[in-house]
Amino acid sequence: MIRIEHVTKKFGRTVAVDDACLTLPPGDSVALWGANGAGKTTLIRCVLGLLRFRGRIHVGGLDVRRSGKAARLLIGYVPQELGFYDDLGVAEAVRFFGRLKGLRSTDAEASLAGVGLTGHESKRIRELSGGMKQRLALAIALLGDPAVLVLDEVTASLDAVGRAEFVSMLRGLSGSGRTMLFASHRVEEVATLAERVAVLDRGRIDRVVPCRDFVASLGHGAVLHLVLPAHVRERAMLSLKAGGFTPRMNGVGVLVPVSSEQKAGPFRVLAEASIRVDDFELVALDHGMNASEPRVSNRHAKEQRS
Amino acid sequence: MMWHVSILSVGLTMLVCGADLAQPSDDAHREHAEPTARVESVPAVREMGKIGAWIAAAEHGQTVVVPAGLYREHVRITKPISLVADGRVVIDGGGRGDIVEITAPDVTLRGFTIRNTGIDLDRENAAVRAVAPRVTIESNTLEDVLFGIDLRESPDSVVRGNVIGGKPLDIARRGDGLRLWRCDRTLVEGNTIHDGRDAILWYSTGVIVRRNVGHDCRYGLHLMFSDDVTIADNQFTRNSVGIYLMYSTGVELTGNRLIRNRGPSGYGIGLKETDRFSVRNNLIVGNRTGVYIDGSPFTDRQPGEFTGNTLAYNDVGMMFLPSARGNELTENNFIDNIDQIAVAGRGSLEANRFWKGDRGNFWSDYTGYDANADGVGDFVHESHTLFENLMDREPSLRLFLFSPAQQAIEFVGRAVPAVRPEPKFVDEVPLMRPVLVACADSAQPAPVVALAASAFGLITLGGAVLALSGALGSAGLRSQPPRPSASGVVAAAEEVDA
Amino acid sequence: MTTIASWAPVERKSAVAKPPSFARNVLTVSRRELRDAVRSRWFLLYTLAFAVLGLAVSFVSAAGGGGVGLSGFGRTTAGLINLVLLVVPLMALTAGSASIASDRERGMLAYLLAQPLSRTEVLLGKYVGLACSLLASLSLGLGVCAGVLAWRGLATHPASVLWLAALSFALALGMLSLGMLISVLARRASVAVGTAIFVWLALVFVTDLAIMAGAIALRLRIEELLALSLANPLQVFKMWSLHAVDASLDVLGPAGLYATEEFGRTLHAIFGACLAVWIVLPLVVASVVFSRRSPL
Repeated sequence: MIRIEHVTKKFGRTVAVDDACLTLPPGDSVALWGANGAGKTTLIRCVLGLLRFRGRIHVGGLDVRRSGKAARLLIGYVPQELGFYDDLGVAEAVRFFGRLKGLRSTDAEASLAGVGLTGHESKRIRELSGGMKQRLALAIALLGDPAVLVLDEVTASLDAVGRAEFVSMLRGLSGSGRTMLFASHRVEEVATLAERVAVLDRGRIDRVVPCRDFVASLGHGAVLHLVLPAHVRERAMLSLKAGGFTPRMNGVGVLVPVSSEQKAGPFRVLAEASIRVDDFELVALDHGMNASEPRVSNRHAKEQRS
Repeated sequence: MMWHVSILSVGLTMLVCGADLAQPSDDAHREHAEPTARVESVPAVREMGKIGAWIAAAEHGQTVVVPAGLYREHVRITKPISLVADGRVVIDGGGRGDIVEITAPDVTLRGFTIRNTGIDLDRENAAVRAVAPRVTIESNTLEDVLFGIDLRESPDSVVRGNVIGGKPLDIARRGDGLRLWRCDRTLVEGNTIHDGRDAILWYSTGVIVRRNVGHDCRYGLHLMFSDDVTIADNQFTRNSVGIYLMYSTGVELTGNRLIRNRGPSGYGIGLKETDRFSVRNNLIVGNRTGVYIDGSPFTDRQPGEFTGNTLAYNDVGMMFLPSARGNELTENNFIDNIDQIAVAGRGSLEANRFWKGDRGNFWSDYTGYDANADGVGDFVHESHTLFENLMDREPSLRLFLFSPAQQAIEFVGRAVPAVRPEPKFVDEVPLMRPVLVACADSAQPAPVVALAASAFGLITLGGAVLALSGALGSAGLRSQPPRPSASGVVAAAEEVDA
Repeated sequence: MTTIASWAPVERKSAVAKPPSFARNVLTVSRRELRDAVRSRWFLLYTLAFAVLGLAVSFVSAAGGGGVGLSGFGRTTAGLINLVLLVVPLMALTAGSASIASDRERGMLAYLLAQPLSRTEVLLGKYVGLACSLLASLSLGLGVCAGVLAWRGLATHPASVLWLAALSFALALGMLSLGMLISVLARRASVAVGTAIFVWLALVFVTDLAIMAGAIALRLRIEELLALSLANPLQVFKMWSLHAVDASLDVLGPAGLYATEEFGRTLHAIFGACLAVWIVLPLVVASVVFSRRSPL
């Protein structure tokens, strides 16, 4: 459904995407995994035809550069944050995008009900909370029942509850034969939604692995997600490695796979290294794609001082 | 006055109304129905040479009444008679030469339609030419003529109530609608001259020109070496120049209306080396230059008098050449002329006065006030705008009139003393209100209804665009109160999840 | 990595067959843009300012006549021309320059372009929408102004008001076009609006003053002066308005007289062509730049 062939995108001298190849058959669901700056968003923007790039991308057999309009008709897109006419009414917005997608009439109420926004039809967009905005974006993306969903860090600006709700909503959509391409740096999202994971590193697609293998590679029992200020992440990585952990960096901090008996281990290591942890989450992972939603635990300790 | 001899007093009237002429034969009709551009409304067509024959048969002092009809002939009046049209009498020159020539004194020509002269400028083909004194040319309509009425050495004549229309030619190929050459004491009154070259007086003293109308000519009225002329209550519109006086002495200009004379020079009134003149109560509107003064007054015997005139909406109100000195302006209204007073080149206005005693002028750009309510501004009126100053020096900069750049320059001129030009002139007693305008503009009715209609149209258009945007109709959508929905979110999420 | 051979497009039952037409998309975007523009406080502000200033100019011009009942040659119109020259370019330039650049900054542009829309459709849609809002603003402002003039019985010829409205709109279209070009080129909204204001200053004051200085210093010939000023759309608008209202440019002195005599009846066509260039050219360039450059 999506075919990415040797796509290279440079911004000036910086190579954002380097010779990326990726093919998604219909119904496939691929997560783009990588740290900030790995090229996830850039690749997605190339797929949407928003950027000029070298190489080729086809969506549903259509070249996104030559027939971008037709190709984008197959795509429902949810951005990280819905930036749109703030003054617009919610139902109005749905109808507006329905028109742009060539629908003769749009049943805005039904679309909004589908994402649980019943009762908010007459609000302005700016009156919506972050989570509601994302659900509106999802409702808009689903207009016209597109074959492809492209999601760009859709939960990045949501809090944990909002995130969980949104992911569960997306899970309801997978398995409907839709092809899904999404960028994420949250393990539980990837584990829940992806069939395969494409790991990006500095613009290159390092490897494409089945989700099960990817999750397994991260650890066994759970993943401790530590939110750290950018300048201490490298140091934290070193300390944790020295402490016998296998940490990975992502956009906002460090992921540490932990076994069930040493969940607090990383805190001890970091405290010894005088590294402050802003926030953390512990995500328990079930192996296999039939996993129920990740159990979010311990979101009360807001700040852990060293 | 001998030219006022009433035609009723003429003893014998020669009536020619034979039945054969009143009902012309088919042959005669066919002969004269040659193709012509005009729609003919004359009841009967006359044979050629008839008027000549009647004149030949008339005696001195008689009145020849010419019956209605179209006459294709060239008429010579060689004896002192009155030639009077009875009804619509058309004398058609057939596009050749002069049409009526008067060689005898004391001739009256009244009520004819004379048309279609030749177009030979060298021979000065004229509709009516007189070369003898005391002729009266009255109530004639001259159409399609090169020269209209051309009086040569015909003093004591009367030209009254004629309508003179020139040929539709380039201005350079037209002739003069009216020309007086050495015609002292002649009265020119109530004529309308249009589409000609000039109405011009040469070497004619004591002429009175009043209540005439001239439009779409080159010079509405032109004086050359003509002294003691009175020009009153005329109206000159859309000519190249309204009234132009050259080398003349003792001219009175009173109550004339000079409107939209905008030829290349485009003067309402021009005075060149004219002496002993007064210009009073004229209305001078919308000309390129309202009054143009070059070397006038020519001597210092008498100051040039400008009183009670209204100069409005001219590009330049009054233009003084450096040679203009000794003029006095009092109680004139200067209303929104783009340039109220201009000096050509780098001349100075020092030798002219813009107030006298307690009598100043009204300046629409006067910025002072009148605290003691005596009708005179409390501050002197000094004219010094930087842009006017620039325009006087560099006329092509007029191109930037009405632009914000012009205002910027004027603002700088006011704000920065270093570049503020010297005042061009000073009026120490400027009037707060315009003096009574003697002859107000023949008010075209203010187009209020049409204006209201266009206002309505514009507002409708704007409203329609707004309605199209739906901006006005969204109130209903907005008024619905938002419902609290925190529980709904979870419920919906669960629903999807299930 | 999955092999390419396994790939095959799947027809979804409810997928829409064809993307909407060019015209439909332009219409959709322009209606949204128009609505957004009309609801903004700028619209109200400009409309009110235009009406109020227009009235002020009209009354001041009428008062200058001293109440003698003379109807001058479009004195009011001349004042209104000046007003239009100041306000309309500012309005259109800022509106145009803010459009694309601020959308880009808000992330709205990426979202809009991720829909089945071409970039030309977005650009043209925004242009049409903003143009309609300017049309509404101008016609309401001038309409109110004309209405009050009619009510007070002040002599202004309706034809000149209508001409002025039409030509103001043409000028606004050109300036909007230029503003959109600025908007496409600029990376940030603040830079775009700043540039627009700079361009406004340049067109309103700097160009004319420079040409004037040039005319004095270099002794420019009349035809050169005329040609130079035709390059400024504001001057074109001014000359066209005077020509339309007064049927003669000779009020502008030798250069105006030259224009009238040399070109006569073709002046309408010449002015129209000049403004058309200012409308079409920046928009075409903006469209090309917008399509070729990364819009984000």
